[in-house]
Amino acid sequence: MSSKTEQREPEHVQTLGHEEYDPIGTAILIGIYFLILVLLWIFMYFVEFLGNGPTVVGMALTVVGLA
Amino acid sequence: MATSPPTEVTAMRNAYVDQFPDEARVIKAAFWSSFIALAIGGTLGLVQALHRTDVFRFIQSPDYYTVLTAHGVLLAITFTIFFLVGTFTWAVTTSLDRGVVDVRFTWAWYIMMVIGTVLVAIAIFSGFLESAPSVLGSELNADVLFTFYAPLEAHPIFYIGLVLFVVGSWLAGVDWFRTWLAWRSENPDERIPLPTFMVLTTTLFWYICTFGVALSILVFLLPWSLGITESVNPLLTRTLFWYFGHAVVYFWLMPAYMMWYIMLPKFSGGKLFSDPLARVVFVLFLLLSTPLGIHHQYLDPGIAEGYKFIAMTNTMFLLLPSLLTAFTVVASMEHGARQRGGEGYLGWLKALPWRNPIFTGMALAGLMFAAAGFSGMINAGMNINYLVHNTWWVVGHFHLTVGTAVALTFMAASYWFIPQLTGKELWNRSVALGQVLLWFIGMTFMSNAMHRSGLFGMPRRTAEPQYQGFDFEPAVGTVGEINMQVALGGVILTLSLALFLLNMIMTSIGDDSESIPDNTYAGTLSGAEDSPRILDNLKLWTAIAVVLVIIAYTLPLASIIDAGGLFGPGIEGVRLSTWVDPAVIESLGEVIR
Repeated sequence: MSSKTEQREPEHVQTLGHEEYDPIGTAILIGIYFLILVLLWIFMYFVEFLGNGPTVVGMALTVVGLA
Repeated sequence: MATSPPTEVTAMRNAYVDQFPDEARVIKAAFWSSFIALAIGGTLGLVQALHRTDVFRFIQSPDYYTVLTAHGVLLAITFTIFFLVGTFTWAVTTSLDRGVVDVRFTWAWYIMMVIGTVLVAIAIFSGFLESAPSVLGSELNADVLFTFYAPLEAHPIFYIGLVLFVVGSWLAGVDWFRTWLAWRSENPDERIPLPTFMVLTTTLFWYICTFGVALSILVFLLPWSLGITESVNPLLTRTLFWYFGHAVVYFWLMPAYMMWYIMLPKFSGGKLFSDPLARVVFVLFLLLSTPLGIHHQYLDPGIAEGYKFIAMTNTMFLLLPSLLTAFTVVASMEHGARQRGGEGYLGWLKALPWRNPIFTGMALAGLMFAAAGFSGMINAGMNINYLVHNTWWVVGHFHLTVGTAVALTFMAASYWFIPQLTGKELWNRSVALGQVLLWFIGMTFMSNAMHRSGLFGMPRRTAEPQYQGFDFEPAVGTVGEINMQVALGGVILTLSLALFLLNMIMTSIGDDSESIPDNTYAGTLSGAEDSPRILDNLKLWTAIAVVLVIIAYTLPLASIIDAGGLFGPGIEGVRLSTWVDPAVIESLGEVIR
């Protein structure tokens, strides 16, 4: 049987307008996400460069398709 | 306007089906078309997971590629786009507070898309027959995978079906624009409501990007498969496919983004943090979705590195709207949590409605998308892409994006949409909550294992990645353990899919209910009035988007045509001109045998 309670608007303890609301928790979460990204990039550095040697993209002439 | 305080059960029911009964029928049909594709395509996913990992093989390996094609096309094209057209029709009518101009036109494009899908499915599934019938002078099959570029060739019916499907989606766009124009003539000074703004910008880049695939099919692939032209330039059809092939990714993603922007804040108990920021994000997608497709071709010879570098730069720019979205959506959730009494730096997370399957499904989908952000950055990086190109890493990546960020959001949204469209209460919310959790767990197993196997070079699109005299060497764990994770993940995902479909069927055959919430979406903390009007200038953004496409694609396309010809040299024209030691050929032959 389905419950009806979840369909209702969640109870508000307070109403926060644009001026009173400061998304500090969001800033912390985004900060953690960036930290994870940096750590994963460092991990990929080990996988790519120390595992297989660097991939050479080429010099100026190759880049513009002339060589 | 429908942005009044959301989700209140009133004495007089005011669900979508009560407001727009005619449109509700078309949207319901579109959603069911989407669910049928999901059911078939998802089940075939399990077949693949078990076959590849050699856990259970009951099809012949050549048939694996038929399964793979059906899985890719049915899920990446049919499931996603049918759900999209339903969602967008809901969004336009709800936010403009008026019906479509002529619902017969709406039915016409829907039916056109269905006919297209049926033709495509007939062509693909004929691949399972021992001897497929000959139609239009060639054998019916289409084992060309979701990425249907040359040299793989499908039966003409496959291409005709695709054309009908895409033209149907174009007409859907016409329908939304017509409805908006009709609204604008009655409300000349109003800002475009946010959901409609999202629909229109997404439709515009869909027109831009599908131009490439239409060109590829109508000028090259279809005449080639009909025998009118003798050959094609494979690199040209590949490039035209990817011109469309990456933008289509954002086309799937935009309805999910829309749900995160206009529904997730509401279910969190709060408001959207910023309407202007949301508009900026959608404008950026309009500008940048298309001129970056070459990042799928980093390993293609025949495209100079410089063009690839431009594609990489555009791709990295496109991280911006996704990161803006991460901020805006999480800030909106936090707003809801704090209104519900949440406190502390991270303690507010506990105040979110985690028992609500709609909220939890969308929030978990967003979390998976954050993980996909990392693997996407690896794919996008030109040199590091070489490490993972054509490996199972890429498959792991898009099972996080389309397979979870999009699919899980759509399933969670269905728990809200289907009651709105039928006037019937959701059959079982506990099953729904279990379903979204199972999807998250199953995908965690499957996708992480796929990513890891890509790091040691396990290829994608291969029925039997088991080789004699060669073993993959994972840095951590074993190949057996990785395979088991994929198989287990596939089983859990299939179970989750079955529970979703069960809930949808039982809801649809249930009784009418008076307690369906009102058809509303989230209000905003900072509304459209806080944003410059130029954001609504669709002509300007479209013109800039077209210029960016011209800059990114003119020279690469000219160079590809110059080198390989417009219609050739064809696959017979590719010859190895370098001298190869006969002993090497002999040993290669040994390996193949």
